[in-house]
Amino acid sequence: MPSFFNTWLPFIYLYGVGGIFFVSGLVIVKKSGGYNSSNKRHRFWWKISIFGFFYFMLIHAAQILAALYF
Amino acid sequence: MEVHHSLGTATDWIVMIVYFVAIMLFGSYFSKYNRTTTDFFFGGRRFAWWLIAMSIVATGVGSHSFIKYSAKGFEAGFSSTMTYMNDWFFVPFFIFGWLPIIVYTKIRSIPEYFEKRFSVLTRFLTTLLLLFYMIGYVGIGFLTMGKAILPLLPPEFTLLGIHFDVTLMGLIIVIALIVGVYITYGGQTAVIFTDLAQGLILIFAGMLVFVLGLDYLGGFGVFWNLLPTEWKLPLAHFNEPPGFNFVGIFWQDGVAGSVGFLFMNMGLVMRFMACKSVDEGRKAATFNILFMLPISAVVVGNAGWIGKAISIANPSVVPPDTIPDNIFVVVANVISYPGVFGFIMATLTAALMSTVDTLLNATAAIYINDIHRPVKKWLTKKVQSWKEEDKQELLSARIATVIFTFFGVLSVIPFSKFPTVYEAHGYFHSTLTPPLVTAIFLGVFWKKFTNAAVIGTLVGGVSLMVLGMYYPQPLIQIFDHGTAFDPKHPYTYIGALYNLFVCALFAVLSTLTTKQQLKLVQIIKKNAHHNFIMTSSVIISILIYLVIGFNLAPLPILLALTFIMVAMVVIASNYFIEYKHEEKTDGLTVWSLNKAKEYFKGSKINDREGEKIRIQWKLKDGEDDTVHFSKNDMKRMAAEIGDLVYISDVRKYFGGLKSVHSVYGEPHNEDGLVYIFKDHAAQGQFVEGRTLLAEKEM
Repeated sequence: MPSFFNTWLPFIYLYGVGGIFFVSGLVIVKKSGGYNSSNKRHRFWWKISIFGFFYFMLIHAAQILAALYF
Repeated sequence: MEVHHSLGTATDWIVMIVYFVAIMLFGSYFSKYNRTTTDFFFGGRRFAWWLIAMSIVATGVGSHSFIKYSAKGFEAGFSSTMTYMNDWFFVPFFIFGWLPIIVYTKIRSIPEYFEKRFSVLTRFLTTLLLLFYMIGYVGIGFLTMGKAILPLLPPEFTLLGIHFDVTLMGLIIVIALIVGVYITYGGQTAVIFTDLAQGLILIFAGMLVFVLGLDYLGGFGVFWNLLPTEWKLPLAHFNEPPGFNFVGIFWQDGVAGSVGFLFMNMGLVMRFMACKSVDEGRKAATFNILFMLPISAVVVGNAGWIGKAISIANPSVVPPDTIPDNIFVVVANVISYPGVFGFIMATLTAALMSTVDTLLNATAAIYINDIHRPVKKWLTKKVQSWKEEDKQELLSARIATVIFTFFGVLSVIPFSKFPTVYEAHGYFHSTLTPPLVTAIFLGVFWKKFTNAAVIGTLVGGVSLMVLGMYYPQPLIQIFDHGTAFDPKHPYTYIGALYNLFVCALFAVLSTLTTKQQLKLVQIIKKNAHHNFIMTSSVIISILIYLVIGFNLAPLPILLALTFIMVAMVVIASNYFIEYKHEEKTDGLTVWSLNKAKEYFKGSKINDREGEKIRIQWKLKDGEDDTVHFSKNDMKRMAAEIGDLVYISDVRKYFGGLKSVHSVYGEPHNEDGLVYIFKDHAAQGQFVEGRTLLAEKEM
């Protein structure tokens, strides 16, 4: 049966621990100059990076809710 | 467990054979684009993002295949998609860090990067680890193919009066022989194009299974209502069962696997090197992860979900105790008509062939670049012409491919002991990727990470990983997040977290003590017998390594010996190998990417934005790697003499197949016209009278 252990706990762990890796990636490439904020193309890819994180988060949340309530 | 044999009809077999012949002919057409070993391995840095993105699909779907995800879909439901949906966390590291570095440093293989960034010894160590990794991957490919085809064959047959039992291992040997024939057609350009075709066909075939399955069940509503709620959840249970749990798979696949996939999968890295520019590589990678991987997750797993629904509605058709690794073939056979089943099986096996082909091509590239060339340089003084050498290398690459195929078949033996392909792959991934992933990741993003530190990481990390295999309790148990201990296959997935931790531990300790190490080396050098002292410490380190490898002492002593050994190895590395920090980090870490761009171009960067222009072309006599535009055209492209230019056929659907890179030469006054040399026209396969598109690079 669905429980906290196969619904929201994996979700929180995935985006919590995964989020730490993701944000540290953004910080490191920004500090190191790998991301150059004055470059138009770089700004585009920066936005895409952040979009991707929330895109997968939304898909997973929607799937959990659909499984529980539909 | 229900065992299946002789599925499919004569029509299915005919469809399969026709499909295979068509794919091989398709591949051989593109092998004409292989003019040199560079083309054979890299396809020559010219392709558009969409072409590369689609060709990656077949590699991703082939290796992360129908068989293993359908098995998990049958056992656990939609959570079989987890591995396809957790690759985004490392994207910033990849698109702003590693991707520009591999393109601008023009490395031919991952070990070559290790030599540039660290030392020859590090290159040697990583070549060994990487070859193990690639051969293991080939073995997984063979095992999956064997498991896919076995249910189609009878349990035994008689040929020319000789009786044969059909066994998994016998079948895999036959498959390996066929792959050997298939690959000689190849080269990277052929691989890219056959993968492109197969990527599209695979997605079609996988979706066809889903649609036919839903139709068989009576529609999506029936399918949804038949599945138990747990089968609809996207993430597995946090820490149970040991064979498939969320936390283990997060560390094994989401962390070690994702970094391994993006940073050190040579098959994939070579695809990105075939992109015409860094930006095209970014498009290919992000499009693949955002859209193609989720679609692939449905394509490869849905047969398991359909199988589960049928096993609830009609257990006599798909018994609930069907062997999970057989479920894809069983479901495809139940829901489709003669001929359609043959088509689905043909796409599956041809895609697996592609995966193995890509991996063998990449393994041969590592062999040529990291073993053949360095050893040959060291052994011979004879100077060969460029063409003689290239011909010899192509032959050596093919011989190496045969040898690696043999080792791949051998590696199937331990893998086949696991209950499913998924678990075999998971265990293999969690043991082989962490040392390389840690080394490559810190090498790129931490400029203080020294040569001694990377050697300490590889030696110390592997030692503690070996101890983790001997003593999963208590070593891995500390990290298990409550996952149950299975004595048969201890900590299949969560072992990756322990392995990553021990590698990172040695990396950090070795790096933070660099000053003290160098001081100690200076003190040793003042001793009259310094050479004897250091040579002895290397010999003692090797002896300790053997004691650990063969588990010849109690655990506390082995742990203490590991730390002593790493200290000695790190000191010896500083003593024997000179490491010039500036030289080894300039342009080789994310902290100095501008330097990398300058090295790539050979002069200062000109990053003014210019237009893409359409032009006609004319041949010029002579041989030179420059092309000549008019002054006005150069102004429109914001280009200067010496900048890099990319010229391609104006027809976009070629995806860069007809294109060439060159350098801007002295301008002329005829607007709308470019003068190129014969070699450019041949390399770009330009057609006379056809308009070209030119743009400044970088």
